[in-house]
Amino acid sequence: MTALRWTAAGLLLASIAVGTIGDASRVRPHLMLGGCRVVAADFHVHSFPLSWATLAPWDTAWEAQRQGLDAIAIVGHNHVWVSKVGRWLSRMTGGPLVLTGEEIVSAHYHLLAIGIDSTIDWRQSATSAIEQVHRQGGVAIAAHPLAQYWTAYDAQARHTLDVAEVLHPIAHASEDLAAQLRTFYSSAPLTAIGDSDYHGLGPIGLCRTYVFTKEETEQGILDALRHGRTVVYDRAGNAYGDAALIRLAAGNLLRATPAAGLLSMFSRLAGILGLIAVALQGSAWRCPTGLR
Amino acid sequence: MRVPIFWRRPLLVAVVLGCTMSLITSAGLTLRLAGPATFYWSFVPLAEIAGLAAVCWPGRRALSFSRQVDLFFAGHGPWLFWLIGLCAIWSFVPPIEAFACTKVWLYGAGAIVIVWSAFIDFRFFRFAMERSPARAARDLLLQRLISWTIIIAIFGGPAIPPEIAARLVGFGL
Repeated sequence: MTALRWTAAGLLLASIAVGTIGDASRVRPHLMLGGCRVVAADFHVHSFPLSWATLAPWDTAWEAQRQGLDAIAIVGHNHVWVSKVGRWLSRMTGGPLVLTGEEIVSAHYHLLAIGIDSTIDWRQSATSAIEQVHRQGGVAIAAHPLAQYWTAYDAQARHTLDVAEVLHPIAHASEDLAAQLRTFYSSAPLTAIGDSDYHGLGPIGLCRTYVFTKEETEQGILDALRHGRTVVYDRAGNAYGDAALIRLAAGNLLRATPAAGLLSMFSRLAGILGLIAVALQGSAWRCPTGLR
Repeated sequence: MRVPIFWRRPLLVAVVLGCTMSLITSAGLTLRLAGPATFYWSFVPLAEIAGLAAVCWPGRRALSFSRQVDLFFAGHGPWLFWLIGLCAIWSFVPPIEAFACTKVWLYGAGAIVIVWSAFIDFRFFRFAMERSPARAARDLLLQRLISWTIIIAIFGGPAIPPEIAARLVGFGL
């Protein structure tokens, strides 16, 4: 048993040491196109607690930076206080630009309210919620608008909505779901964005949006969203968003997924073996009474 | 330095949780993520200790509460392997494909682990706590009710009522 303990400790320490040494942010050069700064953003990021997410706001912001994002919107489920904490901490520590927001989770629709300061009640129609977002100076985004949510967005709601997620990880699950997102996006003059709906699984910014902004500030990004200055690429390299900006970008923004290095693979393998050794030592599989 | 018995196994559960958060997020084990996550995810073992205290405190006999906590957390092996499975998926499967594997693992393996851990914990209450079968079952349910309610409230929070409402709408209620 002692040997197993030492093995567990050794593997975990080796894994953490190697993982920490290789833990560098991806440096993304500042890109200017057509007189605009191109900002890589993810507007649908959840943080611990109260939103089914695993990382605390400060970890979320740092991890976003590591994934090469310039800006994120931390959106709490029906609350904004966690995003305010995230914005404050990111400012204090020189992290990426954090926009405050809320995912208004209702029984009939999910709506992202970006750039707001007060929580918006989920017990109202989508039209009314969008109106409240605008009253606070925010931008209203239809979150993963699959067919099941379409009836909540009546003609008036679609007319006042600013943005729709045309790309989301669910689009990778099936072509049918991807088509539903594209159909909603085409149903009204909306700004296209791609979001990862990050809850802690996988990398932040798996789906991301390139925002063409005059100034790299919260207001600059919100303004760009209102005026449709975005480009989004899907897995196959198809682009969505402003046609002129897509031509301007012309493949400049497509990013290759970096291959895992040998050290990274070692860190993962040693970490998992270490955790298995931790679980094996001292666990009871039928009844814990016989343990010391 | 010996870690007091009360904290030993709950601390291990917190460490596994912290490492899990690092591995599933960044496909690597880093001090930057695993350290803080171990700290704030310790609300899970703390909630479980609260649930255990509620059902064990009035009836404790031969075992000290420290020993009860230690033995109770020794039954967490199935949960730890479930977490490690999640780590393996997000460490070695590309992200797009990992979502599909995760769904199967979360619900498929999760269902098995819920039953398996209930069996272990029932035996803990039955034999370590020397409860009658009926009382052991009651304690198990009460411990789950208290600790899982705390965990779900902290983890999910304000989205739970509309999610329940959405389910009811889905069933036409």
